[in-house]
Amino acid sequence: MSSSPHKFRFVLLAASGALTAALSGCAGNGAGLDSNGAPIGSGGGGGGGTVTADFQSIQDNVFTPICTQCHAGAGAPEGLMLDAAHSYNLLVGVASQEVPTLNRVEAGDPNSSYIITKLTNGPGIVGAQMPFGLPPLPQATIDAIRQWIANGALPPTGAAAASVEAMQKLQRAMAPGSRAAFKVSFTSPVDGSVVDTPLRQIVIVFNHEVDASLVNSANLTLERVDSAAGSGSGAQPLAIPSYLTLANGNASTVLITPATALLPGTYRVTTRGSGGGVIADLNAQALAGDYSFTFTVDGSP
Amino acid sequence: MINRFSRLFLQALMLALCCIALRAHAEPYLAVQMGLKCGQCHVNPTGGGLRTTYGDVFAQTIMPHEHIDTGTDNWTGDINRFLRVGGDLRFDGMVTAAPHTKTVNTFSLTQARVYLEANVIPERLLVYVDEQVAPNGALNREAYGVYWSKDHDWYLKGGQMYLPFGWRLQDQSAFIQTTSRINMSTPDQGVEFGWERGHWDAQLAVSNGTAGSSGGSNDNGKQYSGQLIWVESMWRAGGAANFNNKSAGNRSAFALFAGLRTGPVQWLAQGELIDDKAVTEGTSLIGRRQAAGLLEGNWTIARGNNLKITGEYYDPDRHISNDAQTRWSAVYEWTPIQFVQLRGGARIQDGIPQINTQHTKLYFVELHGFF
Repeated sequence: MSSSPHKFRFVLLAASGALTAALSGCAGNGAGLDSNGAPIGSGGGGGGGTVTADFQSIQDNVFTPICTQCHAGAGAPEGLMLDAAHSYNLLVGVASQEVPTLNRVEAGDPNSSYIITKLTNGPGIVGAQMPFGLPPLPQATIDAIRQWIANGALPPTGAAAASVEAMQKLQRAMAPGSRAAFKVSFTSPVDGSVVDTPLRQIVIVFNHEVDASLVNSANLTLERVDSAAGSGSGAQPLAIPSYLTLANGNASTVLITPATALLPGTYRVTTRGSGGGVIADLNAQALAGDYSFTFTVDGSP
Repeated sequence: MINRFSRLFLQALMLALCCIALRAHAEPYLAVQMGLKCGQCHVNPTGGGLRTTYGDVFAQTIMPHEHIDTGTDNWTGDINRFLRVGGDLRFDGMVTAAPHTKTVNTFSLTQARVYLEANVIPERLLVYVDEQVAPNGALNREAYGVYWSKDHDWYLKGGQMYLPFGWRLQDQSAFIQTTSRINMSTPDQGVEFGWERGHWDAQLAVSNGTAGSSGGSNDNGKQYSGQLIWVESMWRAGGAANFNNKSAGNRSAFALFAGLRTGPVQWLAQGELIDDKAVTEGTSLIGRRQAAGLLEGNWTIARGNNLKITGEYYDPDRHISNDAQTRWSAVYEWTPIQFVQLRGGARIQDGIPQINTQHTKLYFVELHGFF
């Protein structure tokens, strides 16, 4: 008689195991997937091994497989897209939206880099520790990111970063007389997007390093262009006073920081590529023409 | 007179608890074991945070392996008729291992929280604050006011709150918590209407949409989150839905969840589907559909001793084959005396071989103090 309760518990425990196993199934075997878990041929790439203190390793092992689950696309939290095409230029030298006094990555100074605060739940953090809702990154991974920052937060090297095709493209671009045209790679906010308040900084990323002496208010303008911009019905664009700088440690990225918070409305950013003294790269290549993009700040409660 | 009445009431309450609950422990499975709604033991009708007087007495008299006698007085958090306090502290020792990665072991004060409840009109109108005080600086988790109807069959809540969406587990890293992004790390500001009548337990919240959002901050769109549960003494079942209207792309989540008591084992199950329109690939909006599931068994081996076995499943993209992840947890919870719980266990995650971080093994012991 006394064994009945034990039998009952044993049966229950066995049932527990069986049901749990049935629910859990098996993890994927990864067949047909690349090192980021995406179907082969759909993009991605990289090592998938131990994280080392270089940007490509961090991108392949941390940003792409983990962070882009949320930090991707026009709606990326805080405007921070961490896919391979955007991450470096939106991290290095770019102010954090949550703590604007700190850059997301301050080249050479991990202790002043907000990304470390977010990964370690450090003092002064705003919002949740990253990766959000997942276990904290292993200390070795955080150490590798710290070391990459301490080493100067260098961009991915061509050999490590690129596929053969991209490498060939790079070589063609570097060949005398055939250097790739200077152009805007991407912006944040993206063209035509609707962003939430507060928007503290606008980011323009070029494909070459920019001549800092040409980053001025004559070449880069921020204007409000919706109907509320002007006092009359003519709706003349309203120039918005802004600070213009190159991102610290990342001379391909130009930062536009409005002097005052942007009110809800539609805005246009223009980089001048025609006329004299226009914005240019370090080889004095100018943009092929003016480049503009617009975005809307949505301040509705 | 009031004190004498209160003591008599508490003694009667403790006696009643002892009669109806032979063994019981914490968290959602406790509600399943007891056949009670979450609001029976927590001030928040959807669970978590400050315990009610019932929950406090329960935690001292029923939960622990041994109750250290404190005479006729038991902690109920009452400062006076209008104010109550409480708290939770979790201190962990953890070892985390992943392939090709240095194994890390660390001590961590993972959480210290204090709760304050001001019953400005007792039983009818209260103000509640849940503040995380460590690690690091103060961080407000919840702060809201609640108006209860006279017969307590509905309420209206406004402020910053956790949103209703299925089981509210202690393990915030469970796939069903991280995939829905509705958990105790993502409170949102809005209003919630609750309806609790008979076997029904229902909530509907409208909030800014910061919780679980891909966009991260609020815009003109709002988030709607609700659940409807039927509660029986032996089992319960419910459905939950969440819709987040964002300018970057809408996100929808649906869940079915249930609890069942079979002798000394309490079962929790939840399955959910997420459709996120805001996911991009390059410049193209491709969207992503995800699925997650959980089955948990809690075996009450003896008073103050609980073995929790959990199996989880996560499909990060339903359009991609062979990318599923699983996670197994075995956690033993020992509550030797009132207010103190020791937990220890392992969580083993498995995923595709290409990604080391999907093969993390976590071993931990935890000191959980609560009052």
